Amino acid sequence: MFLFSLPLLQGCWNQEELTNLAFVMALGIDKAEHNQGYTLTFEIVNPGNVASSLMGGGQGSPVAVYKSTGKTLFEAARRASKEVSRKIYFAHTNAVVVSEQVAKDGIYDLLDVMDRDPVFRTTTQFFIARNTSAEKVVSTLTILDKIPVYKLVKSLNVTETMLGENTKIIIDDVINSIVTSGKEPFANGVVLPGKQNKGDKMSNIASDKPNAIIKIDGLAIFKGGKLIGWINRNKAKGVVWVLNKVKVTDIMIDWQGKKNAISAVVRRTHVKVSPSIRKGKFAMNLVIKTEADIQEVNTNVDITNPKIIRKIEEMVETEVKKEVYESIHTVQKTKSDIFGFGEIIHRSHPKKWKTLKQNWDQEFASMEVTVKSNVYIRRNGIRNKPFWSNINQ
Amino acid sequence: MQQLDKKLNFGNAKHNVKCLSEAGTLSILSKLLKMKIKVKHDDNFRQNQDPNKPKNLPIEKDYKENLKRIKSELGNSGDIAIRDIFFGSAKGFAIYIDGMANNTMISDFFMELVVHEEGLVLKDPFQFMLEKATGLGNFQIIRDWNELYDGLLSGNTLIFVDGFDQVINVETKGWEKRSITEPTTQLAIRGPKDSFTETFRTNTALIRRRIKSPNLWLETMKVGKVSQTDIGLMYIKGIAEEDIVGEVKKRIKRINMDGIIGSGYIEQCIEDKTMTTFPTTYVTERPDVVTSQLLEGRVAIIVDGTPFVVTAPSVFIQFFQAPDDYYFRFDIATSLRLLRVLSFFIALLAPSMYIAATTFHQEMIPTPMAIAIAAQRENVPFPAFVEALIMEVTFEILREAGLRLPRAVGQAVSIVGALVIGQAAVQAGLVSPVMVIVVSITAIANFATPSFPMAISARLVRFFLMLLASILGFFGIMLGMLGIFIHLCSLRSFGVPYMSPLAPFSLKHQQDTIFRLPIYTFKERPPLMNEGNMTRAGSNIKPGPTNKPESSSGSDKE
Repeated sequence: MFLFSLPLLQGCWNQEELTNLAFVMALGIDKAEHNQGYTLTFEIVNPGNVASSLMGGGQGSPVAVYKSTGKTLFEAARRASKEVSRKIYFAHTNAVVVSEQVAKDGIYDLLDVMDRDPVFRTTTQFFIARNTSAEKVVSTLTILDKIPVYKLVKSLNVTETMLGENTKIIIDDVINSIVTSGKEPFANGVVLPGKQNKGDKMSNIASDKPNAIIKIDGLAIFKGGKLIGWINRNKAKGVVWVLNKVKVTDIMIDWQGKKNAISAVVRRTHVKVSPSIRKGKFAMNLVIKTEADIQEVNTNVDITNPKIIRKIEEMVETEVKKEVYESIHTVQKTKSDIFGFGEIIHRSHPKKWKTLKQNWDQEFASMEVTVKSNVYIRRNGIRNKPFWSNINQ
Repeated sequence: MQQLDKKLNFGNAKHNVKCLSEAGTLSILSKLLKMKIKVKHDDNFRQNQDPNKPKNLPIEKDYKENLKRIKSELGNSGDIAIRDIFFGSAKGFAIYIDGMANNTMISDFFMELVVHEEGLVLKDPFQFMLEKATGLGNFQIIRDWNELYDGLLSGNTLIFVDGFDQVINVETKGWEKRSITEPTTQLAIRGPKDSFTETFRTNTALIRRRIKSPNLWLETMKVGKVSQTDIGLMYIKGIAEEDIVGEVKKRIKRINMDGIIGSGYIEQCIEDKTMTTFPTTYVTERPDVVTSQLLEGRVAIIVDGTPFVVTAPSVFIQFFQAPDDYYFRFDIATSLRLLRVLSFFIALLAPSMYIAATTFHQEMIPTPMAIAIAAQRENVPFPAFVEALIMEVTFEILREAGLRLPRAVGQAVSIVGALVIGQAAVQAGLVSPVMVIVVSITAIANFATPSFPMAISARLVRFFLMLLASILGFFGIMLGMLGIFIHLCSLRSFGVPYMSPLAPFSLKHQQDTIFRLPIYTFKERPPLMNEGNMTRAGSNIKPGPTNKPESSSGSDKE
């Protein structure tokens, strides 16, 4: 009976009708003008315009965007009540978008209020607006998903499960990385290609080719709570590899001189990270075990031959290793341990960590990392030989 | 109660003494009478009803005197049929109540009287009558007036012969009765299609036909000072716990009312606790259900004049057991039972959950759903609680009205109701479509509880929970549920904990609670309600191909 009662005993202690609440779907944080604190942008859903037209839903915008400025986030949020006719309600906030400027100055001041507030969820996703302001990201209308923040969150979800260059980062992850010694946070970047200033018009969703599109791009690397750099494309994928967060991703290999002749999709990966001591210094060993499916063969190769399959496996292995090495070296240059290697050493060698942690950044940057990968090709699609094989004969 | 009885007896006794002294008889007789009254207080039921009625006198020898008395005491009622008997020197009359006695049987009897031997009649007319009456049916010789009325008013024929202070009481019961039909309140797909009727004897026969054991005992008693309703207590001797049988008997005897009109009267008079909305006795109109409950050691109370038989003691989970559970295989039965328990909770909680989620815990609703609900509620002028209350009350009104409407009007009301609830209210913007869904799922879920009394209590508790939800949200619901659980655990049905075997948990007896395990696992009867005789089935009755011939001998027959 107590088990039965648990899911019911959560929630808030005051009564509020649904119609008196302003559901904040996304929160944008920008720097206020003249360094006077922060400007918040609220993406507030307009329920009547979102739900189906049973209730005579209007043709207006599905969201309303309000702005307010304050010295702290809390003050800004309270000041918003001057503009918004309903109680601002953060429990359904899906994403927090922080502008690059704010991130560069440090994110420590932003997180406490999000962590402390009982209504605000720390499972809210955390984004950094890249080359644009958070306000513009939050106010851009999107065409497939009526509520723009869904577009943001869902695209991330899809990239995560199909491409593997990004991985979901929630506020909890960021806070955890900050408080853990030997680990630095990172975050997903969001860009706004196209005509940024036209994103908030209804015309943006009236055309089939929107002016501005919200797009996930790159990983932001933090150090000491400040944004210090970006990492992109395959290197970002490498980070996801090391963190054992790759669900599905693609690998392309060359075959007998032809560039990118064979594509494979990688599934069911498992990455084991273990520290070792070499010549008195810590080194990291990564073992990547994964399965791959061949997706595309643009050359004449007999993939029914086990020897050739083995060869392809080896090539995929080297390709994976290459990606991971490149990524690790890039991150090492920033001296920000977003992989959490320090934490792993902390766990396995707690005593040595005490001396090591003073100078961990340098240690991390000069650390030796070896990667081993083990790929097994399980499937090759619904075709054995490519149609090429007949043409050449 | 007892005090009252004593007073009453005292009054009667006084009256008796007065009458007797008037008649010039000595007070020894009155003392005897007093004692008899003390032992069995409602013996002289006629005086209980009306102290002006004459005392319990022996029957006169003069048949005309007797006739006069009966007529005057019954107020010359028109349905009393009297047929005089004159043959030779023997005189007498037969008396019965028209409509309650079987007319053909009586006519046959008179036809037989015509063929008689004069000598035999002259020798002993009473003996002659007695022999003739043997052909008529079960008979009895009566010597006092109380028994006489008992017999007469329950449809027997009384034969008076001049010069004898004895009366022949022949059982000629036979009145118009409803035939056995399909049950209307408890339907089963694979179960038997017969149900109890209003006739006491039919009902007892229906049960006895299913349990052909000499241990199936039926104790009859008459309850109701005026109505003198037949009550039958049925149980299987040796299975039913003696203490419980005794307790039931005691409680029934304690009933001191003028009339028992249905089994509901009995139910309400013998239950352990009045201040509860949950039923602590089980009511059914299905003989197969009663049979299975008797086999489990329960006691059945059959009341004349109603097709609903009360069984006791009953436990909470029993109200979720439908007859079909046992006729289908266990996997299906288990899933259906889980569904029923689930729907009970839906019926109990759905509206209050809606209120709590939309007014307190908006963060618990998934975002798209929260937005959808918010969109629908955008133009609703009422708070969620008022909205829910309006809809629930409207539905209850419709349901109550539909229940008792003449059939011809019923359709019109249901159309109006469907339109009002389903469409107009939503279109007018008074309620949100979600609310309509909540109300309808609640209503439908409520009908899924197989036992009507339990469903009704869920209906009632629902409003209480809605109120709590509107004040305290889920916390309030939780408090309410806790209260209900505590209350349920505190209930007893004839000494058996209401939540058993769940609340005093007994792993051994979980075969038939939330899950219905395969029938071969029903090895023991439910605990606490049978007398040591726990074993129901043999040890080796698991079905399957018989590989070892010696292993098949283990099954006992029920």
